[in-house]
Amino acid sequence: MPLLINRELVDNDSWQLVGEEALENNELPAGDIIVPLAFYQENSDALINHDGEVAIQLTGDDEIDGVLENPSQFPLIAIFIPALRDGRAFSIARLLKRAGFKGQIRAIGDVSHDRLDFLTRCGFDALEIPADRFSDEVFNAFSEFSVRYQGCEDDSRPVYRQ
Amino acid sequence: MYQYTQVDQQLVNERVAQFRDQTRRFLAGDLPDDEYLALRLMNGLYVQRHAPMLRVAVPYGMMSSQQMRTLAHVARKWDKGYGHFTTRTNIQFNWPKLEDVPDILEELAKVQMHAIQTSGNCIRNTTTDQFAGVIADEIEDPRPYCEIIRQWSSLHPEFAYLPRKFKIAISGGPTDRAASQVHDIGLHIVKNDAGEVGFEVLVGGGLGRTPVIGKQIRPFLQKKDLLSYLEAIVRVYNLKGRRDNKYKARIKILVNALGVDAFRELVEAEWEQIKESDLQLTETEIERVQGFFKPFEYDASAANDSSLETKLAEDQSFAHWVRQNTVEHKVAGYRAVIVSLKAHLKPKGDISHQQMDLVADLADKYSFGEIRSTHNQNLVLADVRQQDLYELWQILEEANLARANINTLTDMTVCPGGDFCALANAKTLGIADQIDAKFEDLDYLYDLGEIKLNMSGCINACSHHHVGHIGILGVDKKGEDWYQITLGGSDGEDASLGKVIGKAVAADEVADTLAKVLSVFVEQRIEGERFIDCVRRIGLTPFKENVYAPAH
Ligand code: HEM
Ligand code: SF4
Repeated sequence: MPLLINRELVDNDSWQLVGEEALENNELPAGDIIVPLAFYQENSDALINHDGEVAIQLTGDDEIDGVLENPSQFPLIAIFIPALRDGRAFSIARLLKRAGFKGQIRAIGDVSHDRLDFLTRCGFDALEIPADRFSDEVFNAFSEFSVRYQGCEDDSRPVYRQ
Repeated sequence: MYQYTQVDQQLVNERVAQFRDQTRRFLAGDLPDDEYLALRLMNGLYVQRHAPMLRVAVPYGMMSSQQMRTLAHVARKWDKGYGHFTTRTNIQFNWPKLEDVPDILEELAKVQMHAIQTSGNCIRNTTTDQFAGVIADEIEDPRPYCEIIRQWSSLHPEFAYLPRKFKIAISGGPTDRAASQVHDIGLHIVKNDAGEVGFEVLVGGGLGRTPVIGKQIRPFLQKKDLLSYLEAIVRVYNLKGRRDNKYKARIKILVNALGVDAFRELVEAEWEQIKESDLQLTETEIERVQGFFKPFEYDASAANDSSLETKLAEDQSFAHWVRQNTVEHKVAGYRAVIVSLKAHLKPKGDISHQQMDLVADLADKYSFGEIRSTHNQNLVLADVRQQDLYELWQILEEANLARANINTLTDMTVCPGGDFCALANAKTLGIADQIDAKFEDLDYLYDLGEIKLNMSGCINACSHHHVGHIGILGVDKKGEDWYQITLGGSDGEDASLGKVIGKAVAADEVADTLAKVLSVFVEQRIEGERFIDCVRRIGLTPFKENVYAPAH
């Protein structure tokens, strides 16, 4: 799937999102992996010995207070967007930023053109776009607006402090 | 009123271009239907029975005469020559073509108007008192705060995909003319013991399927904390509001499920984190925005007028109109005029392009070029010299805009219902006509006094039927239109939800049923008692008995 990092297409991504079957059978691939928060919590001891880095994937239903206590233990946090209308990811990313998270925040799932700019402003630096929703036009998404009212993770100053 | 800065204008222009591109991608097949649906809704575009419907924002009900002329132009050029004012002070056009909408928006942008967030699951137009700034009983003019909220909520990157729509209303003082208690957030401007002016904050009001009156979560909020507190509330809602069932997704359901105390704790904890951030409003910003809403340079000699007295004595129809359709202004010699969009046998809230142009001209001539829309679907010219009232009345009368029925039974608030709305269970317009026809006698209406009648064509409650003194709800019974009647609702500072009096009545019996209800009131009222107070005092039983008495 096309992956944008800092608004540019990259093709050398080391991260693998571990699929459900592999999780069920506990057959983790070697290398850098992304696993769901619940799986991580259940298997954190075993994962210490994983051959590669381990990142977590959050969804809107996860209880994330624990993660917010020390997000920087993870090199990357992915947030899964199940559907266009589900806007929780925007708030979750901002909470991670506020908790001091410096690693990569990656949007996965239903990620497409008309949300890319807002996602970026809320702190996502990596955007994984399903292949059928990707075209060169998506890069326009970042320049549709040259002005804004609110402060956000890109710049905390609202219009009245600029 | 507020004038766009370069940033405001740029943002609206860029939104038009963005929507044009979204529509192009949709028509080219690059944007799936359900995705375009969400995006077009966020720009006020519904698809209805006959055609798309475009809802244009009238932020907190304020329009300039120039904006009104543009609305008239839009109605002429792209619609069938009329528009419909809604209970959230916006205007809807029922007949535009999808392909034309980007052009309409471009035309609107030229006069600082837009359709941003007039629909969809995002923060909607903030509404307020139609007499803001001109009424003596307000503590402070709420409009600057509405504008500050408009800017904060417009294209907020975090809050574009909330669980459900989100509506905020502000009342400027103890008398609530903004229905603030039935909004997701209601703000009341209050003064604390130290004499500081700030906001009381209510949360979780709303109508629709599950009507709820808002609950207080903060008795006093300082002005500088307005946006940080709102952001805390909306963030908690965005994270915790239900997303599995759209009928349970409004904030009222979350507040009720958690209990207001637990909800408050979450909000206050979130607020702690952000109250000292850049979100804090600066004194300079508040003053800058307040600068747009300064009192006009009123004519000091207006109070010396004696012609009004004479005219009132001479012309009884005029006297009725002044009593019903004008309101005392805080400046002596001025009055606020309500332009009735409740003409006899006409769809309530509808206005033709000729009427729009006329109202614009009248605003220029008599009321500093400004017009307001009300949440009861009327218009207001807020600053008219009393010596001009007679002339103004004659012109309005000529244009069918002076029916002297404000706050009476026929000043009905009515949604478009089954004639236009795809969600309707029943028609509303014909029933409104039936009521108009039955209660045409003005003397009878004046004798009945203040009554608010609200009628919705389905449970979505676009016309706030739960909070009408009399509410009428259209229901579908085996393909036929039936109407359920509630009594005792109010959307004022004494907000309450009406109670159903019994089984629904057939379409041809609605007006007769109201007559039975009103006859109980006439019989039972004590001197000077309003209908709503009488219902509260005597309860529903006498009304039920009369309405459902077995026929002889
Ligand atoms: C004709 C197209 C319209 C459609 C499809 C429509 C649809 C809806 C729906 C689905 C809701 C319920 C939302 C919920 O409970 O979450 C709603 C609520 C509402 N609508 Fe409309 N509406 C239309 C026109 C209008 C008009 C003409 C007005 C004003 C007269 C209006 C004012 C409102 C208001 C004030 C509410 C909020 C009630 C509440 O607090 O729950 N709408 N609308
Ligand atoms: S109340 Fe129902 S019928 Fe009336 S406009 Fe709203 S959705 Fe349509």
